[in-house]
Amino acid sequence: MPIPVKPDQSTITTCAYCGVGCGFKAETSGGQIVRMTPWKEGKANHGHSCVKGRFAFDYYRHPDRVRSPMIRVSIEDPWREVSWDEAFAHAAGELKRIQETYGSGSVGAVSSSRCTNEEIYLMQKFARVGLRNNNIDNCSRICHSPTQFGLSATLGAGAASQHFDSILRSDVILVVGANPTEGHPVFGSMMKRSVRRGANLLVIDPRRTETVDSPHCRASVHLALRPGTNVLVLDSIAHVVVTERLYDEAFVRARCDWDDFELWMSQVGDARYSPDVVGPEAGLEPDDIRELARRYAAGPNSTIYYGLGVTEHSQGSTGVMCLGNLAMACGMIGREGVGVNPLRGQGNVQGGSCLGSWPHMFTGYRFVTDAATRAVFENEWKIDLDGEPGLRLPNMFDAAVAGSFKGLYIQGEDPVQSDPNRHHVEAALRNMECVIVQDLYETETTKFAHVLLPGSSSLEKNGTFTNAERRVSMVRKIVEPVAGLEDWEITVGMINAMGYELKYDHPSEVLDEIARTSPAYSGMSFELIERVGSVQWPCNTAAPEGTEVLHTVTFPRGKGSFMLTEYVPTKERVDDRFPLLLTTGRILSQYNAGTQTRRTANNAWYDDDVLDISADDAAQRGLRNGDRVRVASRYGETELSITVSGRVHPGVVYTTFHFAHTMVNAVTSDLNDWATNCPEYKVTAVEVTKVTKVGKVTKVTS
Amino acid sequence: MWSELRALRDGIDLGTPPRDGEPVTLSVDGIPVTVAAGSSVLLAAGIAGCTVPKLCASDTLEAFGSCRVCLVEIEGRRGYPASCTTPVDEGMQVRTTSDMLAKLRRGVIELYLSDFPEGDIDGGWSQLNTTLDQVGVHRLADDHPYRSGANHQGGVLDMSNPYFVFDQAKCIVCSRCVRACEEIQGTFALTIDGRGFGSTVVAGQNESFLESDCVSCGACVQACPSDALIEKSLFPGGYERADSSQA
Repeated sequence: MPIPVKPDQSTITTCAYCGVGCGFKAETSGGQIVRMTPWKEGKANHGHSCVKGRFAFDYYRHPDRVRSPMIRVSIEDPWREVSWDEAFAHAAGELKRIQETYGSGSVGAVSSSRCTNEEIYLMQKFARVGLRNNNIDNCSRICHSPTQFGLSATLGAGAASQHFDSILRSDVILVVGANPTEGHPVFGSMMKRSVRRGANLLVIDPRRTETVDSPHCRASVHLALRPGTNVLVLDSIAHVVVTERLYDEAFVRARCDWDDFELWMSQVGDARYSPDVVGPEAGLEPDDIRELARRYAAGPNSTIYYGLGVTEHSQGSTGVMCLGNLAMACGMIGREGVGVNPLRGQGNVQGGSCLGSWPHMFTGYRFVTDAATRAVFENEWKIDLDGEPGLRLPNMFDAAVAGSFKGLYIQGEDPVQSDPNRHHVEAALRNMECVIVQDLYETETTKFAHVLLPGSSSLEKNGTFTNAERRVSMVRKIVEPVAGLEDWEITVGMINAMGYELKYDHPSEVLDEIARTSPAYSGMSFELIERVGSVQWPCNTAAPEGTEVLHTVTFPRGKGSFMLTEYVPTKERVDDRFPLLLTTGRILSQYNAGTQTRRTANNAWYDDDVLDISADDAAQRGLRNGDRVRVASRYGETELSITVSGRVHPGVVYTTFHFAHTMVNAVTSDLNDWATNCPEYKVTAVEVTKVTKVGKVTKVTS
Repeated sequence: MWSELRALRDGIDLGTPPRDGEPVTLSVDGIPVTVAAGSSVLLAAGIAGCTVPKLCASDTLEAFGSCRVCLVEIEGRRGYPASCTTPVDEGMQVRTTSDMLAKLRRGVIELYLSDFPEGDIDGGWSQLNTTLDQVGVHRLADDHPYRSGANHQGGVLDMSNPYFVFDQAKCIVCSRCVRACEEIQGTFALTIDGRGFGSTVVAGQNESFLESDCVSCGACVQACPSDALIEKSLFPGGYERADSSQA
């Protein structure tokens, strides 16, 4: 009889996938998860879900899970299963030995945005009290570090100004370099709902994405710009706002630094940013640029949502500043329905940014060079702290290749698959004497590891996540971790093994410590989150249950600051050898490096990365739908199958990066953001040629 | 604007979306209740603590009025309006139970049962089961005249989606899935094809769910009151259609 199993228990938790952070009910029967259903009271999702959070949870019980700590002397050796205690002692012993031989700064750590706030906090604590240096970085280095930099510089807070629901109060929605219906599907549905109710949708994206045109949701203006011209086009939009006097002078005079504004006006107002000049260079009709600018400025409530299409450029930070400038100039910040909002990729990237996993900053974006901030932590941790900023992750790899960096503790990251310039990362890891990886599965990176610590999935631990709207929500343990320890317990074990004694009975005690040391989190506690469901920071005595909309009265930095945003073209250029521009992104059914979703039935929709190419470019190369092609850049090459697609213009090709074997990061450029080192994943000059016989899948050239 | 999202409560279905609006006071079964203007009588009845059975109504979807189970009587009005599509008025007096209402609801439910697999009722825990309990009918008598009518028990069983099934035998064509796909997800992948008794839920251009524009968000599964759309993970031994029907 087909009577469905009735779950005997239901536990509210937060989805582990994208930065929307949907509330879910994990329903179990006999201790096994039988389904995940969206939580109606989840403030990010209001009972809605996507294919990943709703259905793709089987990864947690996949046979590939690492089930025991393992060590080996050389990466050529087979793994040897050991106890937790032996693994901790071995790992810490190696790190200490390396530090004695090569110096204190020869080791470091990197935290994961798939881990909880408490675990990320403990990773930076590991570096600072265990390694006694500031060599700690987080994976937003390669996604939204320009957001933190660019929004801090203009507005004073590197985070979304709004809550997601705010989009229902928007009259105009500007989406830049993001495809919410694929990357942030539940927010994408909310965006479409707003458009169906009459909001005007404007999109800046090289591709004709589903966001641009789907049933009952069509952009009124779509600027399909040439990849790499973001700053040029955003400056041109600003040019229209300035020269047509569409800005909100009263707002700027009241809220922003007027001298900065005048300086900015003189820059973007220059004729070199006129749509008539910019249009041809960016591949756009000048009137479309004007139309978009006028519509945005007209509001009355215009909001900006943007993604990695803005940040992953050599001028990523500048692009973010352009958006901050534009919102301030038009008075589109500080109330519901307006604002500037990054759409963050991973469930806890915002937490990754907030919780001090930076080589130069403690929690709450406070500098390690500041003695007063150091004193807060020295007092809490009873230890002297290093005031010298540490190495960023790419600098750790550079130093490893150079021979001065020898040990790395990686929490839930796969830099070999996901960081830029794969061969460089591999060379760096190969040069290290102790690579410690804490992960759910063996990955491309664990091939270079000496210690493998079995991580716990977010269904196996307690803690909190901070989503893209600054909302801190509860992650609850549904099932026991496969190897017995939650990730936070593993890091505590590592800290203790390094010789710093530490004990927490529950991650709530870690959040209490964060609250004691971090002003924006000072009112935060598990008790509060349990009581009100979720809390958006800042949460303090002035806002005891959190803050929905930022910048309502002043900016955290006082007056808003207009940053100069001169366009500097990327050095990555097309030429006769590499005439096409490759840009990259995500698809709905797969998630980032795919470690989780590739281990679910989501492969039914998408079982390999494919290259989208325009009909013109395909015809010129004699290519047909489904052909295997070689994609070669100045950095490396790989093979993919093609889809002839109307979504990309001639001259542009596009692929996703969800499958390890396609090694898209062997092809992408090693240029990066001038301010934050965020890689330029969105612009690589390539050539595409037909592959006639199946050969070696991927080759890395130097 | 926020109530429709933020006044939703886990485990409670108010029947129609909560509204923001001026307070309106009415009485339901003699109980005074105040709700926002624009709310439905169904929602007001729920707030008043009166249980009105329903199938096609959900507080995450706009009212539709197709299942005809949530009928009520309103003082001074003729007939038996569906409470989900009837907005509240100041001073309105609503009755949710009467012999006539019970008879009408039973009649409607018997029609649904006449086209629902009999073996899928005992032990079930869907909203349909709850509604059957509320109306007090669980199966047709062996000699019930509806047993000789036409049915859809040999209809489509779509197992193409890796995560959920669509079993037409259990579909009551309430359109909740279609409306969820439109109103909540915004994909418009589902539709009702055909007319009258021939109406069926179809994906895309009458394709399988997997081949259609469906993005597998699960909103339709969440909305389905009769387990016609249901997670495969709830059937550890695999999904099998019940072979018995009321016919």
